[in-house]
Amino acid sequence: MQTAPFKATRALRGDVRRGLLVGLTPLVRLVIIAGVALLLTALARALTASLGFFTQQEVSVLVLGAGLLLAAVMFGAGCVGALRQVGGWQRAGDASPAAVALWSLGATALLVLLPVLLAWLLPQHPAP
Amino acid sequence: MSTHASPPGRSAVAAPDECLPLAAPVGATARWMRRFVAVLLIACGVVSFAYAGLSVYIATRLAYETPKPIIGTPAAEGLDYHDITFPSRADHLRISGWFIPGHLPSGRLTANRTIIMVHGSRQNRTDPAAGLLALSAEFARHGFAVLAFDMRGMGVSPPAPFSLGYFEQRDVLGAVDFLRSGPLPYPELGRPRAIGGWGISMGAATLLLAAAREPAIQAVVSDSAYAAISPILEREVPKSASLPPLFTPGALLAARALYGMDYYAVRPVDVVASIAPRPIFFLHGDGDDYMPPPNMGLLVDAARSAPNAQVQSWLCPGVKHHAQCFHVEGTAYVTRLVTFFTAALGPDAGGA
Repeated sequence: MQTAPFKATRALRGDVRRGLLVGLTPLVRLVIIAGVALLLTALARALTASLGFFTQQEVSVLVLGAGLLLAAVMFGAGCVGALRQVGGWQRAGDASPAAVALWSLGATALLVLLPVLLAWLLPQHPAP
Repeated sequence: MSTHASPPGRSAVAAPDECLPLAAPVGATARWMRRFVAVLLIACGVVSFAYAGLSVYIATRLAYETPKPIIGTPAAEGLDYHDITFPSRADHLRISGWFIPGHLPSGRLTANRTIIMVHGSRQNRTDPAAGLLALSAEFARHGFAVLAFDMRGMGVSPPAPFSLGYFEQRDVLGAVDFLRSGPLPYPELGRPRAIGGWGISMGAATLLLAAAREPAIQAVVSDSAYAAISPILEREVPKSASLPPLFTPGALLAARALYGMDYYAVRPVDVVASIAPRPIFFLHGDGDDYMPPPNMGLLVDAARSAPNAQVQSWLCPGVKHHAQCFHVEGTAYVTRLVTFFTAALGPDAGGA
């Protein structure tokens, strides 16, 4: 027979899992789509190598640009969906998964910004 | 309005939830938190995607520029020559150039000792700024055959991404292959017995990278080379793009994604020691305003770290601009180089 604290812990784990699933979905989508875009760009570059530089460049830019655009759209859509879900949980009084999802989305925002922050903060050594 | 009430069936866990560090605020605070996270996501997303987009744009600008035209031919210097084409090593681009046989004092032509000449960035085999055609003629008159060519993306060689040596070293290696087994334009002169290389600026760095991989290049003259390209790019990319320096890493990564070239790997300083025991002559203008003279110091130190290293260096005095040693020093420059190549490649062993 399960005790009340055990039930509470199990419920809490479920809430955290639900919150993380919703909160991290946009980031996972972004990483997957950006990764696929980079792989497809490399593939396009290899496939068009014999067609000359301009064709190769055009195709590469197109594939990478489309991939980044798709990643941006899917990321945005994912964020909207996650925030709606959080709103639904909050309205229903389901506070724990909402909190976990919000923290995950906040962390997602910072992770998305991380490359820019690194480019800004990491030291460069320009020639004089 | 309060949303604090637990949902049906969850009252049993309500009490533990209140102890959570992640416990969500309710009501107006919850809405505010949601909006704050939404704004944070929008702001971070817009900044990051704008950064990525601009980086891709800068990379495309960095990778190609309309080539400068060929100005003049060796005929203008009173020299015989033939146009040539040869495939670059590994990726087989058709590289264009010309072959100038050396002129011996007896008046005979020779290809016994051949110098591969490698021009600088955004230039070609005539490079008037560095006096490349005039220097080619000087070598030919001193009995050295010259193979001068346009690196990919420059002169009349096929368009290609500008990789500052990462890909261009294949063109130098293609030139070596051509001299060793290609259809030379003066078959009566035979194949070169000895091959040397002279490069200037980006050409010098490219030549060092190629020589580190190709032992057939028996002697190297490196005029105004960079030890590593990333410090130069970190200075130049923000200037040319009129954007803050934080865009440089993004642009270099975008160039890698788009063209497969890794600017951070263009580091002659890391490979120059492997050229030993073949002799290297480094020279650099003491007042070079584009490629700081300490680049030569780094390369010399790295080259001398090898056992049996044969390294000479010359900091040309009174040179205020980039890659101007030949223009400033003139005859002294030619004399030093001819002496170096004669010692390194040996005397001419009988041209036809």
